[in-house]
Amino acid sequence: MKRIAYLVKESMTNIRLNRTTTLVAVASTAFTLACFGVFLLLYLNLRGVVSSLQDDIKIVVYLHDGLSAQGLSDLQQRLKGEREVATLSYVSKEQALADFREQFPSEYHLLQGLGENPLPASFVVTLAPRFRSSEAVRQWAKRLTNMAGVAQVQYSRDWIENLATVIGFIELGAIAVGSILSAASVTIIASTIRLTLLARRDEIEILRLVGATGAFIKVPYLLEGAVLGAVGGLLSLAILRGGFDLFKLQLGPTGRFLGVESWLNFFPGHVSLLIIGAGLALGFTGSLVSLIQFGRASA
Amino acid sequence: MIQLFHVSKYYDRRPALSDINLLIEKGEFVLLMGPSGAGKTTLLKLLFGTERPDDGQILVQNRNVARLKASAIPYLRRTMGIVFQDFRLLPKKTVFDNVALPLMVQGTSTFEIRRKVTEALKAVGVDHKKDQRPATLSAGEQQRVCIARAIVNSPIILLADEPTGNLDPHLSSEIIELFKVINARGTTIMVATHNPQVMAQANRRVLRLDQGKLVAE
Repeated sequence: MKRIAYLVKESMTNIRLNRTTTLVAVASTAFTLACFGVFLLLYLNLRGVVSSLQDDIKIVVYLHDGLSAQGLSDLQQRLKGEREVATLSYVSKEQALADFREQFPSEYHLLQGLGENPLPASFVVTLAPRFRSSEAVRQWAKRLTNMAGVAQVQYSRDWIENLATVIGFIELGAIAVGSILSAASVTIIASTIRLTLLARRDEIEILRLVGATGAFIKVPYLLEGAVLGAVGGLLSLAILRGGFDLFKLQLGPTGRFLGVESWLNFFPGHVSLLIIGAGLALGFTGSLVSLIQFGRASA
Repeated sequence: MIQLFHVSKYYDRRPALSDINLLIEKGEFVLLMGPSGAGKTTLLKLLFGTERPDDGQILVQNRNVARLKASAIPYLRRTMGIVFQDFRLLPKKTVFDNVALPLMVQGTSTFEIRRKVTEALKAVGVDHKKDQRPATLSAGEQQRVCIARAIVNSPIILLADEPTGNLDPHLSSEIIELFKVINARGTTIMVATHNPQVMAQANRRVLRLDQGKLVAE
């Protein structure tokens, strides 16, 4: 217990004695994580938007005009048995015409000229959550077209796939930017710890001579790095929160984004903790790198 | 207690120590004499495990230091005390905290630390300075603090590298007397020095090193 108290006290002393380098390390970690956090916020929010849009994905299964009542019943039973189907509703030819008239009243006279109702009956299917990916939708639609009584299958594939591509790019961007900035942050924290190690070289030597183990010497510096990183993570969250609120405030009164601001959410609790954890890990890694280099140099 | 068998150490292919053989019994007080560059410090470093011999074997308390794993060295050092010419005290810590350092690294309890540090400081006569920083002490007092740190965990062996190098003759004399008292309690002592006054005052067994060779006893 005494030893742990000593190690914690030593790491806090290190931080206090090296205020400038400590501030630089905290600021650089905060900046790194804030940059990464911007991508992460964008990614998570877009994914949220896509997810809610995907909830609305409907597949329209148009039926052959000559389909018998028995054929219709068989197809309905078969579709209900499909694991991809969450809800299924039947739209008769008459209902389709009524819907058309309601949605496009000015165009209705074009259909009247044809004499008979040209609109096909259909089933409108909403998909179970597990099968809402663009690939799953594509596969299932392909299978549907081969079913007896099905004339055509229609769904909005393009925008699903486009959104998936955009999210993929954002994900890649977040990984690339995150990796580069993380490396920079580790380097800066490693330099900060190295300065501390150099300033306390004599003390480390004395500790070695009085029988301190490697772990006893290293722990305060690892703690210092971890604390710097975690504080940097916390600061980055504060920056991101401030920026996020400001952005939402700017969007709100303009009304230019069709209420999109109501869809925007800040990180949930566990992601915020993960960001602080990432800062802690960066700081710890920076210290470790520095200690390994210092150990080699003083061996 | 300490045995060296054909020990040699080279720096940049130059011999710092050549074919050293010696035996130091438990409870002995030995002076290691020789001019600067004779290899005195190198010999102490080998015993303390901060350097490894290029040839030969070193037995300290029946442990072969030459073959000891790096992870075992700290535990060897906990059975030894070392005194330096330049004291090597931590300037930002008090006298008490400096002396407590060897106990702290071993995880000794607060109560025991207080008891042992007070005892060690009393033994060297600087207990009244325990709350001061080293910079406020005289050279002689700083060396006493350094000795207190070396004896605080009751070491079996005490190694001193030119302990009187920065002290005037009067203070040197005091330090040697202190070593004699510590030795009388059973601690094996090896003092490296080039100072004939120390040799005369200590009046103990002398090992002479010259250009890395043990030339006489």
